[in-house]
Amino acid sequence: MPELFPLSPVHYVAAPLLAAFLLPLVAKLSRSFIKILPGLTFLYVLYVSAVLFPHALQSPIIEQIAGWAPPLGINLYYGPMAGLFASLFSALGFIVWLYSLTQMKQEPLDRFYILLMMLVAGATGIVLTGDIFNLFVFMEITAISAFSLTAFLREDDKAEAGFKYILIGSLASTFVLLGIAVLYSYTGTLNLADLALSMEKVPLSVRVIVFGLFLVGFGIEAEIFPLNGWAPDAYSAAPAPVSALFAGITVKAALYALARVTILLFPFAGSMALISILGLVTLVISELAALHQKNLFRMLAYSSMGQVGLAIAALGLFTAEGVYAALFAMINHAIVKGMLFLAVFAMAGGSANLDNLNGMGRKKPVLSFMFTLGAFAIIGLPPFSGFWSKLSVLTAMGQTGNYIMIAIVLATTIVEATYYLRATGRLYLSEGSPVESKTPLSAIAAVAVLAAGILWIGFFPGSIDEILTAGAQDLLDTAKYTEGVLKD
Amino acid sequence: MKKLLATFLLGFIGFYLYTAFAGVPFGESKMKVGKDYLETTVPKTGAVNTVTSIVVNYRGFDTLGEVTVLFLAATGLGAILFGMKGKPEDKHREPSSILTTGAKALFPIIVLLGAYIFIHGHLTPGGGFQGGTIIATGVLMLILGIKKFHANHALLSIMESLAGITFVVAGILGLAFGKTFLENILPLGTPGQVFSAGVIPIIYVAVGFKVGAELAGVLDTMMSTTRGEE
Amino acid sequence: MIYYIVSIIVMLIGLYAVLMKKNLIKIVVGLSLIDSGTHLLLVAIGFIKGGTAPIYSEPGLTADAMVDPVPQALVLTAIVIGVAVTAVALAMVIRIYAQHKTLDIRKIRSLKW
Repeated sequence: MPELFPLSPVHYVAAPLLAAFLLPLVAKLSRSFIKILPGLTFLYVLYVSAVLFPHALQSPIIEQIAGWAPPLGINLYYGPMAGLFASLFSALGFIVWLYSLTQMKQEPLDRFYILLMMLVAGATGIVLTGDIFNLFVFMEITAISAFSLTAFLREDDKAEAGFKYILIGSLASTFVLLGIAVLYSYTGTLNLADLALSMEKVPLSVRVIVFGLFLVGFGIEAEIFPLNGWAPDAYSAAPAPVSALFAGITVKAALYALARVTILLFPFAGSMALISILGLVTLVISELAALHQKNLFRMLAYSSMGQVGLAIAALGLFTAEGVYAALFAMINHAIVKGMLFLAVFAMAGGSANLDNLNGMGRKKPVLSFMFTLGAFAIIGLPPFSGFWSKLSVLTAMGQTGNYIMIAIVLATTIVEATYYLRATGRLYLSEGSPVESKTPLSAIAAVAVLAAGILWIGFFPGSIDEILTAGAQDLLDTAKYTEGVLKD
Repeated sequence: MKKLLATFLLGFIGFYLYTAFAGVPFGESKMKVGKDYLETTVPKTGAVNTVTSIVVNYRGFDTLGEVTVLFLAATGLGAILFGMKGKPEDKHREPSSILTTGAKALFPIIVLLGAYIFIHGHLTPGGGFQGGTIIATGVLMLILGIKKFHANHALLSIMESLAGITFVVAGILGLAFGKTFLENILPLGTPGQVFSAGVIPIIYVAVGFKVGAELAGVLDTMMSTTRGEE
Repeated sequence: MIYYIVSIIVMLIGLYAVLMKKNLIKIVVGLSLIDSGTHLLLVAIGFIKGGTAPIYSEPGLTADAMVDPVPQALVLTAIVIGVAVTAVALAMVIRIYAQHKTLDIRKIRSLKW
């Protein structure tokens, strides 16, 4: 029925919602639907991506909701940047679903899959929407799924991690809501494009305050120092497939929101410099903290913050190259870190002490190989994807003459190399316990797809060059954005 | 020391929030889109209550998200408390017979009030969220008033699923027969009548069922995990 | 103006409870207070002197005599979100209590920051 249901970006949100509402019903018919339905949903949104993304690269698709033109109604903006992230999120969602099929055994599974689908759909909504209050609503959808999934497992300390996360997460949403309230009271509108045009109604001092509110609000979700105290606990408490999604999806969506809002509404040099400095501080502190971690998930969590810091530092350069590099770093991080979380869980299980990796090189050679691949990619060794992303970050920094930044990034790379090589060394050089356990093929396949992505980008970095350039332009060209949305 | 730091932080946040709002005149119109909503609601959506037309029609996508948030809270709560049972030693005082009889007698009236409020959401103050909450308070009264009362979870979950599906399907039908998701494709009718404003009352009734079922489910789950029964 | 100040104060009281209180339930109450303050603030922004509810309930009412409906719609959404967060937070408190038999954060080692 292609005529009856023309494909449009709203399918990214509507299809998972319908599936989530259907899931409790079909679960009563047969338990097997619980696992099948989310997979079908992710496949469907991937299909939507495959059809729509090529169009979005040519010209952004702007969709109205409920038949009202912006600024009265809510609109979706599906440009190169949103398309890139929506496709990435759908793909990661599908891979994590594939992995969870066999690796996720904790009941209630129906609730697990509902929360999983909504985590992805909420993050996708954040990147699609063109309305700031709607963005807040999607941020809450993502956050509440994330809170619940953090405390999903039964063991000790999971609820505590969840409680910490919910405390700081709801402070984040209050800050964002307050920012929206201030903006509305000066401009009387909520549409992002319309807001961008009416920002001169807001006095400069108030603009700085609102920027601060948004920076704290989105910064908490994006794990910017010093607002990231919740992250290591949440990452190590949540089921590993979910941690992979935290690193790959929630952080990226929050970063996207921060970038979009800052560039559209607060394009002064100071805000960008502040973001850049915060990114560098996050990078340095997280990498140093990762060095001391005994728990693998905590180590990956700190490393994840470091990678995000790198992307933020590049983003704050505010040049086309800088945004390009930030996008590259974000995509690289989403793929690699997602893969590392999945590989570690498959090898070491939930209690991921560093010692659990001992001797895995012989027992689980395929997973060990892929972990090594991911570790090398994160460090930035050629010929993996991480090399090109780090290179583009350094180039962008060099072009603006920030040699101190380059030095910092290179220094943290050495720290990164130390702890990742230490973990890799455990795989091959240490003697492990002789316990044998089989990893199901579907889980290995899920990890392998991500590994293939790392190699593909590593050997053919040119293949995503066009997409990243279009994405960077899309983010920086605010005039095109506002004209496109408000053309009627 | 910690107290001093906290006070300083509070003062800092308070001062800057106040600065941000000091320039906003109180009691004066700051409307831009608000004006358009007020002027177009009756002719364009058929809903007399502007807040309802904003919530369900102009910004209906927000409301779909909002319903989802509540659904997720119910789902997440069930996941977090899965398998937990109250212990027999945490027994609570038994309800008096006045409370039991009163709860049973009042329950239908409360449900009726809730239903009235969500059916008339587009005409009078109120709507699906308010009506649903009222119904949930009726269930709360039953939980408190009747010993060993348990809501029928299977029924509640079917209700909330069907209501959620109604909302999304209404959206998709808008896409299929109109141009956009959630578009109001039904005739608007005469403003002020119960059967008017197209899909707005249908969606709001679905929201009412959904909110009522979800909140009742949440209350019952919390009660049965904390209340011990022999 | 007093409305803005009072709602900011409500918010700050909530924040104080979140930062300083040792009882988990009181912390959740603090979260709710922060939410309530924000909602009050939003409604106060939408108020217009002499304005009535934005409902055309009787003939003769015009748009000029009505308060801004948008903040009211936003508050409705924000309240529901606040309720959802509170419910999930309380569920976690129930789990923590079942495990540690206390609500005092000083006695729960893993809740130290």
